[in-house]
Amino acid sequence: MLDNILSILIFFPAVAGIFGFAVQKDSIRAYGVSVAFIEFALSLMLWFSFDSNVSGMQFIETLPLIPSFGINYILGVDGISLFIIILAAFFTLIGIASLTDTKDVKNMIITLLFLQMTMVGVFVALDAIVFYVFWELSLVPMLYIIGAWGGPLRIYASVKFFLYTFTGSLVMLVGMLFMAYFYYQATGTWSFAILDWYRLILPETFQLWLFVAFFFGFAIKVPMFPFHTWLPYAHGQAPTIGSVILAAILLKMGTYAFIRFSLPMFPDAAVFFMFPIAVLAIIMIVYTAMVAYAQEDVKQVVAYSSVSHMGVIILGTFALNVEGITGSIFLMIAHGVVSGALFLLVGVIYDRRHTKMMSEFGGLASVMPRFATIFGIMMMASVGLPLTINFVGEFLSLLGFYQQSHILTLLAGLAIIVGAIYMLAAYKKMFFGEVTNEKNRNLPDVNKRELIALVPLVIITVWLGIYPKPLLGPINNSVESVVQLMHDKSITDEAKSRIPNLIDGVKITRTSAQEAH
Amino acid sequence: MLEPVNVSLESLNLMTLAPMLIPIIGALLILVIDIIKGGLDKTLYVMISILFLLLDLGAIAETAGQFTAGGTIMGVFDVMLIDGLAILSQLIIVGASLLFIPLALTHKRFHEFSYPEFFALFLFMLGGFQFMVATDNLILIFVGLETASLALYTMIAMHNRDKSFEAAVKYFTMGALAAGFFSFGAMVFYALTGSVEINQIAAVLGGNGFADMGFVLVGVVFVLAALGFKLSLVPFHTWAPDVYEGSSASLAGFMSIVPKIAVFIVAMRMFEFLIHSGVVWLEIVLYIVVVVTMTMANIWALVQTDVKRMLAYSSISHAGFVMAAILIGTTQSNSALFLYWIVFSFTNLGAFSMLWISRQKHLPDHQSSDHSYNKFSGMIQTAPVAATIMGLFMLSLAGLPPFALFWGKLYMISSAVTGGYTVLALIMALNSAIAGYYYLKLIVYMFMREPVINKDGHVFVANATTPLRTIIGFAAVGTIFAFLAINPVLEFITALVFKSGY
Repeated sequence: MLDNILSILIFFPAVAGIFGFAVQKDSIRAYGVSVAFIEFALSLMLWFSFDSNVSGMQFIETLPLIPSFGINYILGVDGISLFIIILAAFFTLIGIASLTDTKDVKNMIITLLFLQMTMVGVFVALDAIVFYVFWELSLVPMLYIIGAWGGPLRIYASVKFFLYTFTGSLVMLVGMLFMAYFYYQATGTWSFAILDWYRLILPETFQLWLFVAFFFGFAIKVPMFPFHTWLPYAHGQAPTIGSVILAAILLKMGTYAFIRFSLPMFPDAAVFFMFPIAVLAIIMIVYTAMVAYAQEDVKQVVAYSSVSHMGVIILGTFALNVEGITGSIFLMIAHGVVSGALFLLVGVIYDRRHTKMMSEFGGLASVMPRFATIFGIMMMASVGLPLTINFVGEFLSLLGFYQQSHILTLLAGLAIIVGAIYMLAAYKKMFFGEVTNEKNRNLPDVNKRELIALVPLVIITVWLGIYPKPLLGPINNSVESVVQLMHDKSITDEAKSRIPNLIDGVKITRTSAQEAH
Repeated sequence: MLEPVNVSLESLNLMTLAPMLIPIIGALLILVIDIIKGGLDKTLYVMISILFLLLDLGAIAETAGQFTAGGTIMGVFDVMLIDGLAILSQLIIVGASLLFIPLALTHKRFHEFSYPEFFALFLFMLGGFQFMVATDNLILIFVGLETASLALYTMIAMHNRDKSFEAAVKYFTMGALAAGFFSFGAMVFYALTGSVEINQIAAVLGGNGFADMGFVLVGVVFVLAALGFKLSLVPFHTWAPDVYEGSSASLAGFMSIVPKIAVFIVAMRMFEFLIHSGVVWLEIVLYIVVVVTMTMANIWALVQTDVKRMLAYSSISHAGFVMAAILIGTTQSNSALFLYWIVFSFTNLGAFSMLWISRQKHLPDHQSSDHSYNKFSGMIQTAPVAATIMGLFMLSLAGLPPFALFWGKLYMISSAVTGGYTVLALIMALNSAIAGYYYLKLIVYMFMREPVINKDGHVFVANATTPLRTIIGFAAVGTIFAFLAINPVLEFITALVFKSGY
């Protein structure tokens, strides 16, 4: 069965979604939770049968699709994608379990199951076209979720979301086609297989152009400054579940794709663009943190803080060394957990008061102590407090980039500290002091269903904050092979010196250091 | 004294004529049946048409077999020319017709389908198109074009709406102008080379190294303008939206596919040698026409308030997109043209058919046109299946993977990249992004707005019968599962195109 587990992971939710049409309306929630639970269990099974000592792709499946044009259905998973898949399964489960929207709940759950198919598909595809198919297909359910269940500006927000990402990915498609053409010129056969592309060594000018083409697709998805303008609208208008999935998983597609495509395929271009992108990332961190501080809507605070932290992920990715990339992948998971949880928490308060304005709240700590506690933990994690999950990722990302530039890392580090201010300010406004608004006096605290969704997130946040090794091991392993590949493939001296060579340097000292332990 | 002409039947190779003659015989049969006994039901004529189309398909398969075995077939004093392009385009023409003709089986009694002449004209028109693609003789191309066009004008006028007469007259006058341009262009080429056969023209012009460049350009301009009219390339497109609006939705869908593939074949035969001759000027003109057609049609489509007009402009844009294949002029791009047009044919015909089944015989007062966007508001609540299928066609037209048209776009853009037209590839990609907006607009209306006009889901299937549902179901299944068929189709197309020397 494990031979086809990746296909099962992709298509099980979609098939279940189709069957879902036949389920009665009042039972659909139980059905959705069951399906998502099975999917989550399958993803855990994937983890348990995953061999952490292997750095390459595992569970590879191949099926010819359009072989004459080099398009094949190839799936595989490595340490880089493994945990994001689990995260996707986990958040779909949590999302469906915590679903409070009562309008048209059946369509919502079926849409979520389809969305899950596309998310898993993106992270396991090893053929660029299959990747592109799922990448684009994920827009449709999200369009529907924002457009049908969102706030008053939902149509504008959903169309903007769709068109922004659609445009970016079409440019990326041209890049992919050029890449395949280049492969065709080099070898005489067409191929869109990512692992085939890894073997190509491209001249630097081609690398630069292709890097830019792919960059458009990925940067809009992340979203990097200055392509981020769709995100506040999408978050602001989306229903709680939409924001949770968007922040936890969909944004990760962009950062994941950087590591899967841009770095190993265009190492010299990655070095060439390292500092410009780092500057953009720092602008992202600082600017969005400042914008977040000015928000009056708590959901927008979380949304902008989410963009801000994506900046750290980008910074870690473009450190181009094992520490940075491992950190950024870990931070993707961490950011997923933490910002997903924060959006869920905002949803909790929105369900009760139907407003997200911070001015409406105050002194909630005395009314809803459990809620305040969970919110506090998650906020601390978001700020990057040691012993929480975010700290591990941020620390490693910055540590990685420190090897490339001390000054920029210092700036980013300071920016993160400054960025913490808005979170504390928001927390202060909402939770501390006297209860200022009479309507808040009798708000019920988090109920059982919400606890079922939130408590696992708290546990993960703390557990992985204290003991991140189960994740870091497999991630590190795969990242090392990526970095080594980048070093071997790079052609310019600049790139050779920026990207560490693990074989005759760092790796040996690392293993000897481990033995010394 | 004149020499007696001795022609053996074998040298005529009449088999090359069979695919065109079959629909013409069918048309005559329908007319004869009507003379002998009038007032028969349309279902008879629909079924006769389908039978003859199937026979036609058989004849094309026969020629295809001979072509793959022995290469290009010439016949009838070397006027007819059966090569891979002819076979592929005839397959598309007949295939699209097989999807179109059952749409006449509506249960509302629309005017046009009550005439047996409609079906006779339809088959005559097919014969005309088949003549166009299966020859490289400019005169026969002209005859085929005019046969088909005259039949088409009449079919449009048979639709009993005010706008359809306007549409027919508009199409006719524009078509007459195009015919004039075409004959003038052909005349110039004849004067230059002493031949009306495209391969002869190419040989003579190539032989003298394009000595009379000025005259060649004059000829090219006139032929390009004539073909531009028929392909609705900007700036010769102005008739298209009005004519599509005036025709019945199903016929509009048909017009966006079949006449164009026929003209694409002519354009491919005509421009292929000119582009490869190194005439830079022609390449620039074609480049501009392609880019402007794609972009402007997209922009106009953005502002339409009627879905049918939006689809009309989008069809223009698709034509420009495909015209790029002729500009690029490699085997891959020419194959991409066919692949694109095959997937486009059932997706677009499906989209227009969805409009067709939602056509009401009498417009309610509050509705200004047959298919305004408002009519589709909140369709997901009143007619969920129809809304889903329509949404599917829109996503496919927008080029969203994995639906049918994505693969066409993918291969087309890839051929641009491969052919060295990277900028063009980017323009094509960005145009797809612009187009995304207006397809999305309909989806937004259907899925995200509340119903404003009709709480009654019946209007969306007002015209539906089992055959119509079957056709649409077929188109929808084809749109979703196209990726399974792309590989064999692509190999088949590429083999035929390559064997024809394009």
